[in-house]
Amino acid sequence: MRELAYLDLGRRAYGPVLEIQRRVLARVQREGDSASRLLLVEHDPPVITMGRRTRSEHLLASAGTLAASGVKVFRIRRGGDVTFHGPGQLVAYPIISLARGARPVHAHVRDLEEVTIATLRNFGIASERKREFPGVWVGDEKIAAIGVAVDKWVVYHGLALNVGADLSGFDLIVPCGLDYLGVTSVSRILGRDVPMDEIKPVLLECIEKIFGVKLIALPPDELINGNESSKTSASAPAGVA
Amino acid sequence: MNVPADLRYTDQHEWIRVEGDTGTMGITDFAQHALSDVTYVELPEVDREFAKGDELGAIESCKAAASFYAPLGGKVVEVNESLDDEPGVINTDPYGAGWVCKLALSDASEAGKLMDAKAYEAFCGDEN
Repeated sequence: MRELAYLDLGRRAYGPVLEIQRRVLARVQREGDSASRLLLVEHDPPVITMGRRTRSEHLLASAGTLAASGVKVFRIRRGGDVTFHGPGQLVAYPIISLARGARPVHAHVRDLEEVTIATLRNFGIASERKREFPGVWVGDEKIAAIGVAVDKWVVYHGLALNVGADLSGFDLIVPCGLDYLGVTSVSRILGRDVPMDEIKPVLLECIEKIFGVKLIALPPDELINGNESSKTSASAPAGVA
Repeated sequence: MNVPADLRYTDQHEWIRVEGDTGTMGITDFAQHALSDVTYVELPEVDREFAKGDELGAIESCKAAASFYAPLGGKVVEVNESLDDEPGVINTDPYGAGWVCKLALSDASEAGKLMDAKAYEAFCGDEN
């Protein structure tokens, strides 16, 4: 079975992780599939990211409010609309080759949705994709955002699953540009505080099954060394070699 | 898979039709299929110069944005503005109404170095 190395970056700021994504992307473009990596991260401090064509009115908070709350805004090159990342949200970035188009982009996005749905199923939560809206939904509430970018047939960015109960960061935006639908999280639905370390192994197992790969843990320093900025409190999670 | 004989192709799945010093480019049937339903096309700016392989713009489909690149170097002289309203023609007619932009080529003879239809078909076969 194909092996895929993964790194659990713990809690980490968005900017440095975006840099890490770009570095892995360049390596996969240069060296091929063996350089592929799966990154797991919780973004801290919170950020708002906007896709290529996000309309600025989907950002509800004023510049002043954002500055006061310490929330930075990144405009990035993925598909999809505006979204929020913060502590309590499990983010997975599989940076992998689509073999120059032989593996369709829509199949990759579908797999990301399937990974999310299967993970939630393990917790007894029934979720679904909606044909017209991206992401994964529990009823009319969004539990995970999905958005990817493709550069020279290598895919990056990925999925963001709301785990913790605090969803106040979403008040700053119109999630995915849909103003009449809400957001939810695993902890809210289960009515208990679900720790990251409980959900991570389940997500990894679902990725193995659905992507058809064997995941190999790498220490986070593999990609962090040489990265000047923000050595935040990486809370060395269980299960990382 | 549809691969017209009169076009040249890149390994990034773009096509280009060279007429004199002008090249009309778009993305191939193979690429549109890999991306599925195109919802938005980010077009290059008219008058901007690009070297071969530079990113020209991006195509957005179901939750994904994919970059596309200049098959040959040149200056953008026209973009297909109808893609703003009807991006889906990239899927239905990638070599016709779904063209993306026209380039005033800096060296049209460079087209000879790109794949012809036969080579491109073989290339896509290898990819599968």
